[in-house]
Amino acid sequence: MPLNTDLAARLARIVGEQRVLLRPGELRAYESDGLPGYQLKPSLAVFPGTRDETIAVVRALAEAHAVFVARGAGTGLSGGSLADDVVLLGLHRLKRIISIDGDNARAVVEPGVVNATLTAAASAYGLHYAPDPSSQTVCTIGGNIAENAGGPHCLKYGVTLNHVLALTVLLPSGEVVSLGNAEGEAEGYDLLGAFIGSEGCFGVVLDATVRLERNPQSVRTLLADFSSVDAAAHAVSAIIASGIVAAALEMMDNAAIQVVEASIYAAGYPTDAAAILLIELDGATAGLDDDVARVAAFCADAGARGVRVATDPADRARLWQGRKKAFGAMGRISSHLVVQDAVVPRTKLPAVLAEIHRIGARYRVNVCNVFHAGDGNVHPNIGYDANDADESARVHTAMTEIMQACIDAGGTITGEHGVGLDKLPYMEALFTPTTLGAMCALRDVFDPERRANPGKVVPVHSCREWHAAPSARPIRS
Amino acid sequence: MSADVMTIADRVRSARSRGATLRIVSAGNWLDAGRPCAASERLELAALQGIVSYEPGDLTLTARAATPLAEIERVTAAEGQWLTLDAHGAPSGTIGATVATASAGPLASAFGTPRDHVLGCEFVSGTGDVVRAGGRVVKNVAGFDLVRLVTGAWGTLGALTEITVRLRARPEEDITLAVSVGGISAASAAELAWRWTRESEYRPFAAELVSPSLAQRLTGMSGSPDARLLVRLAGNTSFVRAARSAVAALGDAQPVASSVWGELALAEPAAAIVFRASALPSSIGILCSRATDLAEGFGGYSHATLTRGVVRCVLPAPRDDNAMERLRAGLSQLSTGVTVVGERMPAALWSISSHPGASDALAERVRRAFDPDHIMNPGLLGGA
Repeated sequence: MPLNTDLAARLARIVGEQRVLLRPGELRAYESDGLPGYQLKPSLAVFPGTRDETIAVVRALAEAHAVFVARGAGTGLSGGSLADDVVLLGLHRLKRIISIDGDNARAVVEPGVVNATLTAAASAYGLHYAPDPSSQTVCTIGGNIAENAGGPHCLKYGVTLNHVLALTVLLPSGEVVSLGNAEGEAEGYDLLGAFIGSEGCFGVVLDATVRLERNPQSVRTLLADFSSVDAAAHAVSAIIASGIVAAALEMMDNAAIQVVEASIYAAGYPTDAAAILLIELDGATAGLDDDVARVAAFCADAGARGVRVATDPADRARLWQGRKKAFGAMGRISSHLVVQDAVVPRTKLPAVLAEIHRIGARYRVNVCNVFHAGDGNVHPNIGYDANDADESARVHTAMTEIMQACIDAGGTITGEHGVGLDKLPYMEALFTPTTLGAMCALRDVFDPERRANPGKVVPVHSCREWHAAPSARPIRS
Repeated sequence: MSADVMTIADRVRSARSRGATLRIVSAGNWLDAGRPCAASERLELAALQGIVSYEPGDLTLTARAATPLAEIERVTAAEGQWLTLDAHGAPSGTIGATVATASAGPLASAFGTPRDHVLGCEFVSGTGDVVRAGGRVVKNVAGFDLVRLVTGAWGTLGALTEITVRLRARPEEDITLAVSVGGISAASAAELAWRWTRESEYRPFAAELVSPSLAQRLTGMSGSPDARLLVRLAGNTSFVRAARSAVAALGDAQPVASSVWGELALAEPAAAIVFRASALPSSIGILCSRATDLAEGFGGYSHATLTRGVVRCVLPAPRDDNAMERLRAGLSQLSTGVTVVGERMPAALWSISSHPGASDALAERVRRAFDPDHIMNPGLLGGA
């Protein structure tokens, strides 16, 4: 109790009293991220508004040996930005776009800048920020960096890792370090690469220099309609093997189509299709329609009932809205949702999708697939009612089996959402104890007291020489 | 884990317990690269050869670390695919050394460097632990990124034993044009070519500006003693046709055989001094002119990967102390406001390299975590 109130008072002196939340009612909004199944209660929340305030806050936390969890927009899908008895460090007020350099196609931003806001600002230069998670109208660049976020267009353009040139990072100790090199090649260890995707366990981003992509001369969006998931999966394999690099290659199965078409995000998808592919090709106008024709032919050969090509921006935007808002649309049909994020080798997609379907049927749960087929990054979603114990248990077992099927196919447990709490139980199925120990050792380089986002990413018990760092104190109210 | 990897792990543990230090060696092409390395024993990896798995439909390949790039090239070409890493040096160079040194060539302009290609790896750390990081799929955020950590670490955190990379399908057409950029200053030529590359709708696979004396050595570029812009255009037929006429706007563009890229990779003489100067891409004009003047002034040459803002300089080792001192002064002047990364340099020049490699505090903590006794390639990245 004294620690909590003393610390709150100290933080309030830095950021102002209205920026420190202590009352349980006020803190409720920070108990969950995008996965409502996890609810963990921070002891207090603090929201610095400037870089200097952030540094002062983190230094105060370091002096108090307080554990903390950084949070951007709270749209994460792995239970990553929440924990019991911690200080929640909200960074969404740090939302300045510091500079945009059109000549060098890059921007310097604070961590709280919303992904789509950066693209909107870059559009004046004919540029955009390529990683485009479906939550891009809300999620922040800082959160994207913490999770190494992806999105549909990462198939062609790469994920967050491939778009960050340099970071100024505030270590949990309060020390400020520069990672990467914004003005030339980086030499030495790639600590920038190590930091990206570290899920808030290595420190807090103060500013990021990110690479912007040129807007393509032309864009075509294809909607291909299939009477079986298997046929759609085979079309994906044919497109990948052809070497045509689609900007995006997304699949939605009938369950996902139904959900979207019944919502305000209805995109005009054929509701009787077993699956649709949403395929985008972009680049120079010359040659683009040749690729469009080849992709359409691959779909037809795989058994597509029809392929529609959208060139009009409004038409394309509508097709994309259905895909990007599919997750939100699911909120209409069930109170809770689990989302998986496994990645499988692309040749294994047809077999894995069939196995997911069998598992769903066996446990009588409604699996709805909407995912980045071109990367082999599957997102089986299962809506359920957490108050129904029997249904919850069936959903849990089905998800565990689905994850195991993806691992058995040579895949991984998360492609873009992060491990957080949600995927923690699968880490030991994927990595050896030695490898998990090496990950812990890397975390200890950045955060020797293990105070930043404790208990995430690597299971505590699997860390060699792990002993709850004696100086890190939980904050109890 | 294979028996020979366990043997390597045993050797590392044994060296550590005896207080010995290890120089990692596979093809041995890089032994004169990096900062001076002093080790008491060699850790031979050359036996770790062969493709472990290759599924063309997945566009991924796993190979043991000492597999030559030429072998990967051969196996993937049979499937119409390739690894888009064209590091300088002989094709006998290994995938392990390419990743360990983060070496990249002109294709990095479009496809990035090893960090953008490696999906997973196995390495033996300085404590003899066998770590398997990443995976074999093209998108993966499971756990902390040990793959990026060891890519470009020059073996100082561990010896790479196996690597999984992302491949690409070979384009339908792949042509190279040599554009003569004479009649204007070197700075203007570089600036003009960079701006074209940046603004063109026809993003080339490579756009490399080669200095006049390098151009003279390459097949098909005799004639005017000008710098040449080598532009590699690839894609479907309609794209390449349109791109080719767009390049003509830059100047006299002549097709050259694509073997020119292999010639470029092999151009440097043995015992050459090699360093890269880099800066913001928009300052490529002035950077290119300063770096090229320095290199050509010492009888060498340069080539610039324009969109990356990197100029690579190759020059013969100075004949005497006087010449070395002049080079030292020239390099020192060049490094003002510019990042200079050494590839192969005599000990006397290393202090000029902009970054102290692995010697800042955070990097030193990383080193201690993976190689607490500094037994792996000691000194190669700086520090102990």
